Amino acid sequence: MLCILYCGKAKAVRGFERGRASVNTGWLQAVNKKEHTSYFRSTMAAAGCVVRSLRLFCRRLQFPQHETRHLRNYWKCGTFALSNSLRQPSLTSAACLHTGKVYCALSPTITVTDEPDVLYQKVEVLVKGHDRAVLDSYEFFTTMAAKELGINISKVEEPKKKIERLTLLKSVHIHKKHRVQYEMRTHYRNFEFLRLTGSTARVFLEYLQRNLPEGVAMEVTKTEIEKVPEHILEPLWNSIPEKEQSSQ
Amino acid sequence: MAVSFGGAGLILANHAVAHMSRTLCAVPRARAIHSTAVCCKHQAARIRVGKGDKPVTYEEAHPPHHIAHRKGWLSQHTSNLDRETGAAERTVEDIFIRRFIFGTFHGLLANELVIKRRGNMLVVCALFTQKIPAYKLYFLIGYTETLLSYFYKCPVKMEVQTVKDKVVYKYL
Repeated sequence: MLCILYCGKAKAVRGFERGRASVNTGWLQAVNKKEHTSYFRSTMAAAGCVVRSLRLFCRRLQFPQHETRHLRNYWKCGTFALSNSLRQPSLTSAACLHTGKVYCALSPTITVTDEPDVLYQKVEVLVKGHDRAVLDSYEFFTTMAAKELGINISKVEEPKKKIERLTLLKSVHIHKKHRVQYEMRTHYRNFEFLRLTGSTARVFLEYLQRNLPEGVAMEVTKTEIEKVPEHILEPLWNSIPEKEQSSQ
Repeated sequence: MAVSFGGAGLILANHAVAHMSRTLCAVPRARAIHSTAVCCKHQAARIRVGKGDKPVTYEEAHPPHHIAHRKGWLSQHTSNLDRETGAAERTVEDIFIRRFIFGTFHGLLANELVIKRRGNMLVVCALFTQKIPAYKLYFLIGYTETLLSYFYKCPVKMEVQTVKDKVVYKYL
């Protein structure tokens, strides 16, 4: 019984976020809204009774406002400790110690234009960091993401590391023979993606940049393909004799 | 002590020096004579081995040449990389944040702070001991986040873990 409740409620919470019903109106209204959408299309009868049982359940529990926000937090974080929370109305947010404001990410608007999309011959991404292990894991992440999205990776290179050394005097006063050396190492990783469209490049680069680890910098070089301008298409020596003939 | 003596005089001088050093051992350390050559020892971020009663955390126990081998970095940002700017500003910010949090959560820090910068965001990762009740800790965390975000004009987040006592690695 509890597992069915779990499925039903999960879908209802998802609907609550998507529909963005205001928290003040109450959680129950969101459940009513989702009743008629596509989620329950296939199993209308079963869903109906599930939703009805949920509604009864909600009335019994009467979640106050801040707890629904906790639930939304849980859904966003992906840690959905639903069974426990249903039993105890007072939620202990042990998983999220500091619950800041929940920012509802606005669903991105899809624009359709008639302009042709920019085409890129290649997009080179150079990643720099102090720690080679971090760059290794980021390489694994990037290659996996590109493979899943069907983006063509031509090569993954590791340029040689650069070490910047400073030699300073060890002592505050005199003792010139005793010095201290500090160094800063920069490791590199180069990814090359071939034949991307502008929108793909934009989305993929945003995804990579959002998942950049701290202490790692990225430089992106894009090589665009442009149509050859019309005045260069025909060689000059073809057009000049015609002009001379016309002048003569 | 650069006075020229005769042969016998030298022996007398040595005796005098020995006598003086013996008497001076009873006097506090500030008055000792340095009779060895200059040895500029490394003393950065090191805790010298003592009697064995001093508890020391993993971070404190390892000297700085173990960074990137046995230790990680406490402050993670991109300004020390090749051809990147802003190192001095980040360092000053870091120092301020460490002192601020040391003062706000006085007596609660179990280990050094870890400061990470992800894009625009400043993430301060701290390890506290459970000496004050949880609601007070929540308030201090919120207060720190808001105040620092106003100082640095960027979103500041604290990732906090509490521990019953300071985690001791060894006793030096």
